[in-house]
Amino acid sequence: MESKDDIYYIEKVKNGQTQYYSYIVEKYKDIVFSIALKVLKNREDAEEMAQESFIKAFKSLHTFKGKAKFSTWIYRITYNNCISEVRKRKIHFASTESIEIKDDDSDFNLDGLPEENREKYIKAALEKLPEDEYTLVLLYYFEDHSIEEISKVTRLSESNAKVKLFRARKKLYTILNDMLKEEIYTIL
Amino acid sequence: MKTFEEDKKLKSVLKSVKLESPGNDFSLNVMNRIFHEESLLEKAKREKVLGKGFWIILALFIALFAAMFIFSSAGGDTGELGKYIPGLNTNTVTQDYENFFQRIGSVPLSIAGILLASSFLVFIDRFLSSKIRTL
Repeated sequence: MESKDDIYYIEKVKNGQTQYYSYIVEKYKDIVFSIALKVLKNREDAEEMAQESFIKAFKSLHTFKGKAKFSTWIYRITYNNCISEVRKRKIHFASTESIEIKDDDSDFNLDGLPEENREKYIKAALEKLPEDEYTLVLLYYFEDHSIEEISKVTRLSESNAKVKLFRARKKLYTILNDMLKEEIYTIL
Repeated sequence: MKTFEEDKKLKSVLKSVKLESPGNDFSLNVMNRIFHEESLLEKAKREKVLGKGFWIILALFIALFAAMFIFSSAGGDTGELGKYIPGLNTNTVTQDYENFFQRIGSVPLSIAGILLASSFLVFIDRFLSSKIRTL
């Protein structure tokens, strides 16, 4: 399903063929759920939050004019929902300063990651990223969103989003580097 | 240039990772909730904003104003109203009617304003809540 299909299904839903909304849910459920899971850290709560986001999007579908990507719109709803929930529950976002960025990690070679464990390493590294930076990485690298679109979702300024993304990438390299070093020490 | 290449590589490595998925019945649950919401929405749409009670009260008000108009144009003259309702002692009715409105007239303006404003607010609230339910 390509991005242009979204408008097709949305128009159908707007015209009363609600069942077509399931295509939208199916397409975006993983990323919406991943954002919610990262923030709420509990599968049940994340599932509930993801459902709420889709229902909220459905209810205000008439306000979606198609000027921006539908994905940007749904992620923004999800992100806002998560922020509200965090405020309501007084959960604290992981400190962005908790991971020390080392300059030499910028030269980290991704090919150094063992192929068979690559997914495990990446998942573990993403897990360690703070919530806001995780969302930036998710949108930029998984969803191919531009900085402009990311700034719309997160309400950060474009320059701020750019800086944060740069730091997130560096942190990801630092985490991966540390994990690899740890692995080597264990083997030795 | 190096960053661009790095970025491309990171993108492909990250994309090879499968994201967390919700339970198998996630989509089904969302759609069921949406259909449920939709049926509530349809119900709210079918519900009339102005109920039967409103129209009865409105009809009574119109009747009252019509009566006021007729009585005021008739004045104390029994002959005028007697044309419409034969055998009616219009003098007594007119007297009572005038007394009633004199009493209402003695109600302070602020109370009348409060009554009027609250009725208006109740109406607006009812109207808006029905609109919100349909959204």
